[in-house]
Amino acid sequence: MADPTTEPLVSFRSVHKAFGTYVAVKSLDLDIHRGEFIAFMGPSGCGKTTTLRMLAGLEAPTSGTITIGGKVMNDVPPHQRDTPLVWQSLALFPFLSVVENVEFGLRMRGVAPKERRDRAMLWLERMQLKGFETRRIDQLSGGQRQRVALARSLVTEPEMLLLDEPLSALDAHLVIRMQGVLTRLQKELGITFVYVTHSQSEAFAMADRVVIMGNGEIAQVGRPQEIFRGPKSRFVAEFVGRNNILGGTVKAGMLETAQGVVPVPAVRDGKAEIVVAADRVTVSGARPEGAAIRASFLSEEFAGTGIICYFETADGAEWKAQVTESQLATLQPESGQEFWLSWNANSAHVMGG
Amino acid sequence: MMRKFDPYPHVWRLPLLLWQGAFFVVPLVFMAALSFWLVKNYRMEPAFAFDNWERMLGRGAFWDAYWLTLLRACMAGVIASLIAFPASLFLAFHLTPQGRRFALLCLIVPFFTSFLVRAYAWQVILAESGPVNAVLGGLGLGPYTMLNSGFGAMVGYMTLVLPLVVIFQTWSLAAIEKSLIEAAANLGASPVRTLVSVIIPAAKTGLVLGAVFAFIMTFGDFVSPFYLGGSKPPTLTILIIDTTKSGQQWPRAAVVAIVMILTLFAVATAALKAAYGRRG
Repeated sequence: MADPTTEPLVSFRSVHKAFGTYVAVKSLDLDIHRGEFIAFMGPSGCGKTTTLRMLAGLEAPTSGTITIGGKVMNDVPPHQRDTPLVWQSLALFPFLSVVENVEFGLRMRGVAPKERRDRAMLWLERMQLKGFETRRIDQLSGGQRQRVALARSLVTEPEMLLLDEPLSALDAHLVIRMQGVLTRLQKELGITFVYVTHSQSEAFAMADRVVIMGNGEIAQVGRPQEIFRGPKSRFVAEFVGRNNILGGTVKAGMLETAQGVVPVPAVRDGKAEIVVAADRVTVSGARPEGAAIRASFLSEEFAGTGIICYFETADGAEWKAQVTESQLATLQPESGQEFWLSWNANSAHVMGG
Repeated sequence: MMRKFDPYPHVWRLPLLLWQGAFFVVPLVFMAALSFWLVKNYRMEPAFAFDNWERMLGRGAFWDAYWLTLLRACMAGVIASLIAFPASLFLAFHLTPQGRRFALLCLIVPFFTSFLVRAYAWQVILAESGPVNAVLGGLGLGPYTMLNSGFGAMVGYMTLVLPLVVIFQTWSLAAIEKSLIEAAANLGASPVRTLVSVIIPAAKTGLVLGAVFAFIMTFGDFVSPFYLGGSKPPTLTILIIDTTKSGQQWPRAAVVAIVMILTLFAVATAALKAAYGRRG
């Protein structure tokens, strides 16, 4: 696990990156600790991949400094860094065999043929690829290629591994399996994993800390649970999870909204937005006690772990509520039918608070 | 299960097959037959005699021409590849796709003029009193005899093949997935090692094909050795011309042509195997 008390492995200090007039990353300040699994998450174009590429030296920051292990890295070319990256496309060399791919980093570092073959074979064994060493890359399955790419990056025993959406090309069932492989690997090796993804399930399942980015800026940094239950801004609330947002003015512990007045957790008076997660909303026909609004039923969607019901409030806002199959059977909602959506006032999260 | 015969794809193949049959296979067979004919009183007579084959293959002069042509074609393949490579690297990696399209278009422009015309232009440029010697003379060098030599022929060969070699190389280099090159650097390869260990292997097919085309075009070129190489010592193409001129010896010329075709087949087959072959 990460130890934030020691000196950070990586520090971004007011890092800017512009491509011509397009600003990809704006005033990024962040520390990455040794041994931590950190995930950068955000929609495409949010700057997460550019941030990762700057760590690998594949892009140079326009301004600001990036230090790794206390050393300023701005002008260090990629081949003089020890920041192996696992590409989304994997970028395995098609003209080399599996074991030659894994050896590549050692060969470039001048490790003797015998030793590098032995070390590569150990990693192939560790990745359950023994027997595949002489295969060509195009003779492997997607999951096997994934593991070759990991072995190739880890064979040089780096302090940090960078991963750029490495699972996005895999089938859903393989993603789950590879998530397990990656987290176990990171714990065993004790090195830093910097993981970029647009998938919140990947980020939340694996990372110790998640960095949500939007428009080139950090929107929020925190543990997965913190971010999931306590989004700081509308952007994060809408990007993460299935959240409902209610805005209004707080007066003496009550939020006055277009939907009516609802109780809120302790917060000072003034403008406020609260977030109610879909799994904390109860749907009922009769008006319940406490926090509730009225909305008409639109549609339902099977989501595996439950059913998401979509509603529309009188002023056109969309609300989501997660219900069980038996609850749905009891409710028998019809399109346009009005319901009460209620929640425990204390389970709502006040944004910016 | 019996599949119903579907004439549709065959209809589209037919014109090509007919064309190739009528203008490639039939003449080839005819030429092979011709090589066994005899010439009597300056007139060709159908026969099945090995005289032409014995006369041509038994002659030292034929083999001198053969090895000279083979050597020049190999050299042209290598030299053209080496000259083209830096240019292709630039076109592939330092230009925008639009810039690259424009540059490749410019490389096609030389084909708009006859190669013979371009060879004549070189005669002027490389002449004893030509501009090249004038510049060298200004530096206190020369004058050099560049025409009617192996050098002159090589200039002609390069004029013929370089644009095509650059096009082949640029296409294959530009097609390399950018992440492969980044991955090489990411794994500790310096720019030079990236070039040797990743870029060249990844572009191998186009590089080999470029060299092979240079070889094939040079091997069969008549203009360069004749107008710029001074036709002495003769290449196989010049030997063919000389043979047909001397006493209507078309059958003996056919022998030379068939040896050339067999050589090109062998080289092309080996090269394609190298280009698309899988590393063991």
